[in-house]
Amino acid sequence: MGTYIIRRVLQMIPVLIGATFLIFVMVFALPGDPTDGKCGERPCSPAYIAEFKKEYNLNDNVFLRYAKYTGIWPTEQGGLLQGNLGKNYNGYKVVDDLKERYPTTAKLALVAIVFEVVIGIAAGVLTGVRKGGFLDNLVLVSTLVVISIPIFVIGALGQYFLGVKAGLFPVTVGSNPSFYELLLPGMVLGSLSIAYVSRLTRTNLVENLRADYVRTAIAKGLTRRRAVGVHALRNSLIPVVTFVGYDFGGLLGGAIVTERIFNIQGVGNYIYRGILNRDGMAVVGAVTVLVFVYLVVNLIVDLLYGVLDPRISHD
Amino acid sequence: MTTTTTRAAKKAVPESRYVPEDGLLLDVEDLHVEFHTADGIAKAINGVSFQLRQGETLAILGESGSGKSVTAQAIMGILDMPPAVIPEGKIRYCGQDLLTMDPEVRRKTRGPEISMIFQDALSSLNPVFPVGWQIAEMFRQHRELNKSDAMNEAVRLMERVQIPAARERVKAYPHQFSGGMRQRIMIAMAIALDPAVLIADEPTTALDVTVQAQIMALLEELQEERKMGLILITHDLGVVADVADRIAVMYAGRLVETADILPLYASPAHPYTRGLLESIPRLDQKGQTLAAIGGLPPNLMRIPQGCAFNPRCRMAQDICRQDRPELREIVSGRFSACHFAEEVIDA
Repeated sequence: MGTYIIRRVLQMIPVLIGATFLIFVMVFALPGDPTDGKCGERPCSPAYIAEFKKEYNLNDNVFLRYAKYTGIWPTEQGGLLQGNLGKNYNGYKVVDDLKERYPTTAKLALVAIVFEVVIGIAAGVLTGVRKGGFLDNLVLVSTLVVISIPIFVIGALGQYFLGVKAGLFPVTVGSNPSFYELLLPGMVLGSLSIAYVSRLTRTNLVENLRADYVRTAIAKGLTRRRAVGVHALRNSLIPVVTFVGYDFGGLLGGAIVTERIFNIQGVGNYIYRGILNRDGMAVVGAVTVLVFVYLVVNLIVDLLYGVLDPRISHD
Repeated sequence: MTTTTTRAAKKAVPESRYVPEDGLLLDVEDLHVEFHTADGIAKAINGVSFQLRQGETLAILGESGSGKSVTAQAIMGILDMPPAVIPEGKIRYCGQDLLTMDPEVRRKTRGPEISMIFQDALSSLNPVFPVGWQIAEMFRQHRELNKSDAMNEAVRLMERVQIPAARERVKAYPHQFSGGMRQRIMIAMAIALDPAVLIADEPTTALDVTVQAQIMALLEELQEERKMGLILITHDLGVVADVADRIAVMYAGRLVETADILPLYASPAHPYTRGLLESIPRLDQKGQTLAAIGGLPPNLMRIPQGCAFNPRCRMAQDICRQDRPELREIVSGRFSACHFAEEVIDA
């Protein structure tokens, strides 16, 4: 177990280097000048542009800039390796920006996950136990509909009908939002995964209900409720938990579309604005953190898999 | 209302078991089981009757598809219904018909009264729970013992079925045991609540020959110790020879012959039984062609008219294709469903 974790952590290093490098190259390959529009209606003065380019190493070639960014090439303020994410083009520290926005994104991810776990598993169990019934077909059709509709359509529809028309939820979300404010965006964000979770639960449950050990559980004189709810479900949830775990890792990376629709000041929105303003430092810094979070969550999920299924060994 | 029925149901299983004077535990009478599938109705069991007494071992012998496992599952009440349907018959346990019993009362008989061991212990044990937990679950659910008491009982049972270092291995998972040890755990689970009837459905088929003998010896020992009625389901005549008191031979969902073990081996009273005995390889017939029963078991959706065995029978006459022979007593204690049973037994 210990060696497994060490091996996995070591594997993260090349992934992080590769991912940050690719993002770095791609972001700075985008057309457009970051100084455009920085000085209001007029073009910026050559002195300002020169100062700006010097400040952000924009005169160096991309490899040297990457080396300086990561701290492989020594600079006075240090780079990624020294834990410095740098400043964005407005002169604010990227770390501070993320600290401000990350709780919002994490909260949104949490709402979405709770929503998809509770409703997805409940729907999966109800349909799996009564395969072919009315509810089964209803869920099958509705999940198909949800899977086929893009999230910006679901988001806009939800915002209009549940927010504007019915007035059940706030239409947009302020800074430092409460869980209640994030309920509607969370449902929109989790809707696609609900479909997957319910189908995954259903398929696995249907399969496991035919398993020999469920027959044994019945032969042991257990109630059907216990045979299904403990013996069959425990096995059926292993792949579901894994899926939800990876999904949570993805959601922690922010939800650009959902955050845009509901004007949530999270990481997704931050990255979107960074791309729009050609703010390479903001985008690279934020994405680097997201890649790291995703890798850590993945590692935790893989370790959890070993706990859930004793047949999996991490030695 | 619901609470009163559950409370009444709880009391339905008596503290000390009532067994009739004559020791008759199980009385199966004219049992029929059908499977209603999209392709039609498969008649898996077509009128099976037998009895099981305290301390008796009954072997049910037959090929795949002869209905032996379905019989066991019908007694146990673990058939999937639907597709299975029981249109006729009675299964009396200590005088009470299990088939008309309240389902909740019947559930409580599984484990404390009638218990079952399955063929493949690896797939029959839940892979994600420790073996001790799975054994302890019997005590937790039926006896309402607390966790540590139930766990102690599990260790005691694992020791009883001779699992080495039981106390250390109680938290191990099924995949960490060998095939023989897993089957011992299945046995420990099945005998946990001291059942009156134990059904073993091909308990040794998935095991090595040496381990087979150990498991059979253990079953025999436990049966004598606890005076259980044991139903041993197998397709292997060799496995049952030492253990069984009586044998019931099944073919196409019917009993074709029942007898005490020795007379049946000495002189079978049904051509099918004789075919089975002749198809056992013997050392003293080395070099000779092994006799086998030609043909295949019948399709249960289209069981032949008359005697179901007639297309494969060397002695078949016109009467065999028209009249279905009923099980009848040939000699005292020996029953055969063959028109020519007397000739077969003398041959």
